[in-house]
Amino acid sequence: MFTPIPRVQVPGVAAKGEIFQVKALISHQMETGLRRDPQGEAIPRKIIHKFACRYNNVVVFDVDLHEAIAANPYIEFYLRATESGRLEFIWEEDGGQTYALTHQLTVG
Amino acid sequence: MVEKTKTASFTRRNVLAAAAAAAGAGFAGRGPVPPVDAGDSDDDVAIVKQLTGKIPAKSDRIHLAMPRSFPNGYTVPLSLDIDSPMTEADHVRHVRVFAPRNPLIEVARFHFVPRRSEPRVSTRIRLAEPQYVLAAAEMNDGALLMTKTWVEVATNGCA
Repeated sequence: MFTPIPRVQVPGVAAKGEIFQVKALISHQMETGLRRDPQGEAIPRKIIHKFACRYNNVVVFDVDLHEAIAANPYIEFYLRATESGRLEFIWEEDGGQTYALTHQLTVG
Repeated sequence: MVEKTKTASFTRRNVLAAAAAAAGAGFAGRGPVPPVDAGDSDDDVAIVKQLTGKIPAKSDRIHLAMPRSFPNGYTVPLSLDIDSPMTEADHVRHVRVFAPRNPLIEVARFHFVPRRSEPRVSTRIRLAEPQYVLAAAEMNDGALLMTKTWVEVATNGCA
């Protein structure tokens, strides 16, 4: 097993009203629960089942992920720059573990 | 240990059986139902209706871009884009993606917020075999817009 590493690519500065791109990636096996180990035992499901982006504590985009999302889930999405503040990215794994990153955005 | 999220899994078999049962009730007394071609759109509409509880309308406001053929089923690129002003009065609530020929049909659901996020996303998905991938966008007025695209994969991404 390895530790999932979350990464995001977000601009540091945006004009007010501008739509900017966010690229979010987390290294994760996304074990579907459909596979069996060499002894024939089912390998339990362990996926990232939720991703959310908060902008100054308001959820502005979120995703429910199912088993058919590829390993190392990559999500590219678009937000509108409304005010300077903190962007928070949260990944939730089966079993309750979460991974998070924050990013400071300046809107001028 | 059973995850709560697991109970929401839909398989093609369950969904089609339920859809057929529902359709059969409507056809009772009208004789045998004519066979439909594989990949017929009625099948897609039935699946989406079964999973969302709404009757989808084919729309050209929703764009689902995927490669027509891809060498492996493990990481197939997917891009979605819905034409919407994203105002309080007219916006996309969420869009769901289904792969009916995967062992588990549901792929993802993306939620958007009016004036804050655009109904445009890209990701990478697994596909078990060549199939139509379906996307259904629920608008703020409750309308369900649907589109589909054919994707040919050479290897099973779900094994």
